Amino acid sequence: MKFGPTTRLIAGLATLLWIVCSATSASAHASLVSTEPSDGSVLAATPKTIELRFNEPVTPAVITLIDAAGKTRGDVAVAAMDKIVTLTLPRDLPRGTQVVSYRIISADGHPVAGSLLFSIGAASTAAALPASGSAVAVLIWLARIGVYLGLFVGVGGVFFAAWIGQGASGEPAFMGALRIGLFSAVASLGLQGLDVLDLPLSAIATLAPWRAGFATSLGPALLIGAIAMAIAWIAARSATMTIAWVLTSVAMLGVGGSLAASGHAASAAPQWLTRPSLFLHGIGVAYWVGALAPLAVMARRRKDRLPSVLHRFSAVAVPLVGILVLSGLALAIIQVESFAALIETRYGIILLVKLALVVVLLGFAALNRFYLTPIVAADYKNTQALRGSIAIECALVLAILAVVAGWRFTPPPRALNAAIEAPLAVHIHTENAMFQVLVSPGAVGSNGFVLQLMNGDGSQLSAKEATLILSLPERGIEPIERAATLGSDGYWHVGGVPLPYPGHWHMRIEALVTDFQKVALEDELDIPGH
Amino acid sequence: MISISRSALLAALAAAVVAAPANAHVTLQGREAAVGSSYKAVFVVPHGCAGSATTKIRVQIPEGVIDAKPMPKAGWNLEVIKGKYASEYDFHGTKLSEGVKEVVWSGGKLPDDFYDEFVISTHLTNALEPDTMLYFPTVQECEQGVSRWIEIPSDPAHAHDSKWPAPGVKLISKP
Repeated sequence: MKFGPTTRLIAGLATLLWIVCSATSASAHASLVSTEPSDGSVLAATPKTIELRFNEPVTPAVITLIDAAGKTRGDVAVAAMDKIVTLTLPRDLPRGTQVVSYRIISADGHPVAGSLLFSIGAASTAAALPASGSAVAVLIWLARIGVYLGLFVGVGGVFFAAWIGQGASGEPAFMGALRIGLFSAVASLGLQGLDVLDLPLSAIATLAPWRAGFATSLGPALLIGAIAMAIAWIAARSATMTIAWVLTSVAMLGVGGSLAASGHAASAAPQWLTRPSLFLHGIGVAYWVGALAPLAVMARRRKDRLPSVLHRFSAVAVPLVGILVLSGLALAIIQVESFAALIETRYGIILLVKLALVVVLLGFAALNRFYLTPIVAADYKNTQALRGSIAIECALVLAILAVVAGWRFTPPPRALNAAIEAPLAVHIHTENAMFQVLVSPGAVGSNGFVLQLMNGDGSQLSAKEATLILSLPERGIEPIERAATLGSDGYWHVGGVPLPYPGHWHMRIEALVTDFQKVALEDELDIPGH
Repeated sequence: MISISRSALLAALAAAVVAAPANAHVTLQGREAAVGSSYKAVFVVPHGCAGSATTKIRVQIPEGVIDAKPMPKAGWNLEVIKGKYASEYDFHGTKLSEGVKEVVWSGGKLPDDFYDEFVISTHLTNALEPDTMLYFPTVQECEQGVSRWIEIPSDPAHAHDSKWPAPGVKLISKP
């Protein structure tokens, strides 16, 4: 088929007219309606694709994927279909927070830009990066188990001997546990300091890590724990039963206090619930675990007082299991927040493993209480089954303690920034307004922002809404926007803001003063590299 | 960086060049208005909030703009909020010290795919400076979300950088 010059001219003009019409008729900026996965989500595995859905057809201009290792990836395929831009991701993305920075052209020709953050496995945190090496990490874990042994087997064992056991059966076990516990408490302090300061193991001989370790919330917790263990030690050597009763009771309170003083759960809100829960949980665990070694020894020696001891132990143990379960559940709900987090975060997985072990342990406890105890009551020499069951309980308890000690390395989903050491402070001051910004920890990873909004004269600026907008122009990361919430302290808070890379971040804070007026201040935020 | 096909880039470029003058925000129709005369402010609403239908338009009447009378729209409730002016203005021989400060159209539904205009008849007093910009901060409320067209640039030359610019009109001397 052939066209004359006139036909071609008309066709050309028609095409031009069509472009003009179609481009001007939709006279609006495109806006992002939703994304899959959603912004800020934490995924168990790398998704095959990422979808950005807009309210109108868009043309991608620059779309960049920066992976958790900070590498700009070239192996991403981008396709735009109507209102949806799809990125096909490579399979080998590292664990941590990935950033998709997009700049698209809307139908009216205006560029629209923003960033989408998602994490694989868990959000990148400073702690997740290889900090002080795996040797220190393993030692921290072992020392934590040692402290648990001292508190639960040691203090709990002395308490059992004084109150329930009528004599020091299993004394080598709980005295040994106290020794291990005291040594581990001291070691924990130094190791914590090494971790905080990011020092090698050899620096343990210097004063700095010890000071740093004590300055953290673990310092008082370890001190309380060590005092409790020391008191238990004295109680085990005490001359009269009355002194032993008093001292062991104080030591048990110390076990609860030590647990309530530190850790992820103790720093969680509401504190009136978490700290008492931890306190009761600690005492409950010490009572139960402390009884195991003495009971095992009595069963092996076929002591004739075993049935009466078992009876007294059970009388307290049954309601105590209720307290343990309730306090544990309360803490788990506060820490994990959602069912999805149970399988999507390492913290949640550890909790699941712990719960599974606890369920098995409860099964054996029930077996002891309702089946084996009556057998022993009938004939105190018939302890074969009970001994086996207690041995398994001991192994399960050890496994649970080892698993729980792993929490030291996994921030709970509730807040990936529980350990606030030294927040980064930024002060922005203009004629009309003065914003004080605290960024915790102010390092690569998940950060909490606290915004104090003031008028130019320093009086409080009452805002209806506050928004935090962050971008990293040097890496081509387009604005990440997060709404702040007003806390009861009068400050505006934004939690869990991922800052995946070090650099000169640009920070903009917008405060809506009235429906028609907003105050915006901007400044740089320097996030140090490692 | 991810490579985008050349044709897509060209298309984007073409779209950018062709469509540059198009309005992307809630804006005022017309570029100029003369002080000391009546002014019909036409607010153009080209889209909803991120795809959601518009249900309410609130316009703040700036200082120096008096005798504001909104035009009713079928399907929308109309309300004016009156208050004191910062100073007294002469209007055809009468001194006016209070009047309409805010206009609210509510209860309607303007889907994202449609376009509409909201009109207010006003008088621009001589207290306004020619050769400056006059802004009408506007809040667009939608079924989901709010777009606040309330940003007033400190330097009008860079007004384009703003994400949520308030609708504005350039003031000129009375011809």
